[in-house]
Amino acid sequence: MRKPKRVKRKLFYSLTFTALLLSACSNGNTGNTGNTGNNEPKNTAVESNANTPKEKIELKFAFWGDTIEKKTVTEALKAFEDKTGIKVEAMHIPSDYLTKITTMVAGNVAPDVGYLNSGAAMTWAEEGKILDLTPLIDSDPDFKKEDYLDQIWYNWEPNKTLGMSTAVEGYGLMYNKNMIEEAGLELPPTEADKAWDWDTFVTYAKKLTLDNEGHNALDPNFNPNKIKQFGFQYDPYNMMAAVVSNGGNYLTEDGKGFGLAQPEAVEAIQKLADLMYLHHVSPTPLQTKSLPDMALQTKKVAMTVSGNWALQAFAEQDFNLGVGVLPKLKKSNTLLDGAPTVIFSSTKHPKEAWMLYKWMADPKSVLPLIESGLWMPLKKDWYTNPELINKWASGNKAHPDDYTKAFMKQTLENGIRTPGFEVKNFSKISALVTPALDKVWTGKETAEEALKAVESKVQPLIKGYYGK
Amino acid sequence: MVSSLLLSFTDYRIVNSPKFIGLGNYTRLFDGTDPYFYKSLWVTFKYVALRVPLGLIVSFIVALLLNQDFIRGKSIFRTIYYLPVIVPAVASSMIWIWLFSPDLGLINNVLTAIHLPTFNWLDSEAMVVPSIVMMSLWGVGSTVIIFLAGLQGVPRSLYEAATVDGAGFMRKFLNITIPMMTPIIFFNLIMGSIGAFQVFTEALIMTQGGPNNASLFYNYYIYREAFQFGEMGHASAIAWILFIIILAVTGLFFRTSKAWVFYESEV
Repeated sequence: MRKPKRVKRKLFYSLTFTALLLSACSNGNTGNTGNTGNNEPKNTAVESNANTPKEKIELKFAFWGDTIEKKTVTEALKAFEDKTGIKVEAMHIPSDYLTKITTMVAGNVAPDVGYLNSGAAMTWAEEGKILDLTPLIDSDPDFKKEDYLDQIWYNWEPNKTLGMSTAVEGYGLMYNKNMIEEAGLELPPTEADKAWDWDTFVTYAKKLTLDNEGHNALDPNFNPNKIKQFGFQYDPYNMMAAVVSNGGNYLTEDGKGFGLAQPEAVEAIQKLADLMYLHHVSPTPLQTKSLPDMALQTKKVAMTVSGNWALQAFAEQDFNLGVGVLPKLKKSNTLLDGAPTVIFSSTKHPKEAWMLYKWMADPKSVLPLIESGLWMPLKKDWYTNPELINKWASGNKAHPDDYTKAFMKQTLENGIRTPGFEVKNFSKISALVTPALDKVWTGKETAEEALKAVESKVQPLIKGYYGK
Repeated sequence: MVSSLLLSFTDYRIVNSPKFIGLGNYTRLFDGTDPYFYKSLWVTFKYVALRVPLGLIVSFIVALLLNQDFIRGKSIFRTIYYLPVIVPAVASSMIWIWLFSPDLGLINNVLTAIHLPTFNWLDSEAMVVPSIVMMSLWGVGSTVIIFLAGLQGVPRSLYEAATVDGAGFMRKFLNITIPMMTPIIFFNLIMGSIGAFQVFTEALIMTQGGPNNASLFYNYYIYREAFQFGEMGHASAIAWILFIIILAVTGLFFRTSKAWVFYESEV
């Protein structure tokens, strides 16, 4: 027992020593900005220069993303630095982002500006850890809230906003044109008023689902245990477009009840599960695991629902991609996902942080990410002004012919936000709902059984909508 | 550690300053308000109950084999058995995700080839814990090494004396090897149990606690409360309960050890 004790003592000393060093450092810093006159004359020279912020201000910008995103964002930050003289440190955190940021916030070394997932952003904003941008927006003559899409704002109270999504991420139907043509079918509709109703969609998907002997799912000889090609693939956890299309929502209208257990939502969710277990046109989660990542390109799947970002990868492969609008239940719509960029309230330079914020929200600054298909722009005129639309949404490989109708117009006019934008306590509620839905998507329970069973547990966690 | 004990009596969500709420965090766990507590305890106990004895038996057998004189290239085998220990948990989790894959995975393909039924390893609530146990047995190398060292420490003279007395292999194994090894077994039992209670990476990488929370291991649950929900106070309380459980279990082992662990000096 003696040895560990000695080690501990050593550790204790070295820790205390480091702590002393650290506190000495931070003292030194405050000394510089403070008004103690004991320092060398050089320091006073720096101080007298403090009115011109260019020398001293340094911001930290935290973000995640793959190498392409890392490159573009870093370049955009560099361009900001060149233009304003404000130094920006790019902090790229590729994995475990929330854990790291949480630790930084707890340790009082949060970045100035950064991405954040919506759940954490909303709760932290309520606790005062995220800056309310309203006063900055109001006092800025160069910035008009109306110039940006309505669906991208995160308000945790009616007049308090923590900012906008980092980018718009819209969903749509993507399909392999060659497969549709081989089956002799018309291409899927690209406009909201022509969107398929559910039965038409199911029939269409059945025609595209083939077993290993070539029978499609309408054929009485069709063998659902030996499917070679699926008509449709979808991540059922992105079910909210269908739920809202059917008149339901995550919570009830008044924000007091569990909306997913209401009949409209249950019906929509059941219809999605039926695609797998009743109609056999869509792979189950288990079958999905056995499909290649490029199911669309390799003709294992004819149509899929995915977000805008998938276009970036598709553009790099040579295949005939088409896009359309999602099938509807009652009303045509699409889902908008996103994660906000926020300014942490611990920042010492809110004005400069806001300048940086605006810079990153401007589609011009991050154009490579928008052209490449990964992001959709935040500003309205990029959806309406033909000249601007030409800069990103047409005439390049990442954006197929009908993109401007099926994705762009649909996003602008019928885009509904994921619950993360507006449901309070969402991460905790979804920790209960996701396992319940596991049972639906694996075909063990009906939507009604699973959601009704979890309703009583969800109820005490419901705290209403943000900003509604 | 002390601060986490203090935090466990507070409502602390990182973003606010800790607020004292007495036993609030603990009552919330035990009265069932927190829907995951008992579930994760159960899942973890199931894992420990499978993993610890199996781990001991498998590694003991491997060590016995590696200790035989008739095996050639022993050092190569010893290296092979130890190798997985060096592979980072994240990497081995990725490998096993492929092996366990229901249609394309190696394990199911082998089972199909020899006409045995296949399983949805990580995707079924019943199989997910046994699957993770199976995977963890792959990494028993360090336990094997400890056993091996112990086996080589058993005095040859004892075996020689027994041979003279006409004892067979089984006799020698039961009356010499096992008793002489009990301190080592005891050590590995304690270390193995502590390790098993803290299983984490597999849940984080392979299953995220699913399907339907069937692999919501206790440590993953702590991690989720702390870093995904930001409930540091609550997570501290949960962590302290684990500490007490581990303390109690090891204490129990120590208590019973008097009955079955033999030290040479006591003989």
